[in-house]
Amino acid sequence: MQGNQTTQAVGESGLFNRIGVLRAERGVSRQELADALGVNYQTIGFLERGDYGPSLKLAFQISAFFGLPVEAIFSTEPLRPLSEQIYGVKANHDNPEQSQ
Amino acid sequence: MNAELDFFGRRVSMAQRSRRRAMIVLIYSILAVLVIAACANSRLSSMVSNLGTYVIWAAIFACRLFLGGNATGGLVKPFNSKGQKDWEAPPSLLSLKLRVYQPISGLGAEYLNDERELQQRDRAHYWAYQILGVSIVVPWIILSLGRHKLGLLGHAVANQIASGMLLASLALFLTLPQAILLWTEPDMEPDPDFN
Repeated sequence: MQGNQTTQAVGESGLFNRIGVLRAERGVSRQELADALGVNYQTIGFLERGDYGPSLKLAFQISAFFGLPVEAIFSTEPLRPLSEQIYGVKANHDNPEQSQ
Repeated sequence: MNAELDFFGRRVSMAQRSRRRAMIVLIYSILAVLVIAACANSRLSSMVSNLGTYVIWAAIFACRLFLGGNATGGLVKPFNSKGQKDWEAPPSLLSLKLRVYQPISGLGAEYLNDERELQQRDRAHYWAYQILGVSIVVPWIILSLGRHKLGLLGHAVANQIASGMLLASLALFLTLPQAILLWTEPDMEPDPDFN
């Protein structure tokens, strides 16, 4: 299991997140995300590195921006790569017997 | 916190922490020289008051031009997170063609602190409070011991040291939270609007 987990920097906040991946995937710059969230663009860097743990309000704003649940973006455990997680779930959904 | 400094119309990148630290060292060196000069001339009471005034003004100008925290000038955003109101008329310093103030219309978002910056601000004020407390208490203990217990210091010397302590404390009071913020903030990414 450990081998499948991404090596993410947990930073000072103790939170793992996918903000950097999601931002790159959707072609959103730090400045654009910062403007949408109403924060300084430096804060996005701190969030991505895990050096700052956002407030509940900011976490929900980020989740609304990406249209994903909060737990898909933030976790106290290391997050698996999105592709692996999505295709893993899909494989289980297509073939439920495999998942049991 | 801003990544670059608007210095008399020129934008200077201060994204690197080493640059910010060098600036802080330079500012405190100048303030220290002024404080020492004020103390060294304490025999002349008028000189003390004059140089003491210069120390306070130097600290205020350092905040306005470089450190920020109290107005829209400098690197640190205003601590009150309210920006500055519109100027009805240009301030007197602007009439001297000095770009000390950056007049703004309304409350620009670039002058407001977000939640991370507010957290850092509070932490910097906490540490400044601790350091300021120590900077007052320790010399006071030394002075008390020197004057009453050990009999090492004469009244004139004690007064000189007390004046210096007061001036240094005032300068720290004005500049220390901003200096802590600038000292501790890691290297910043350059402002995308810069250039």
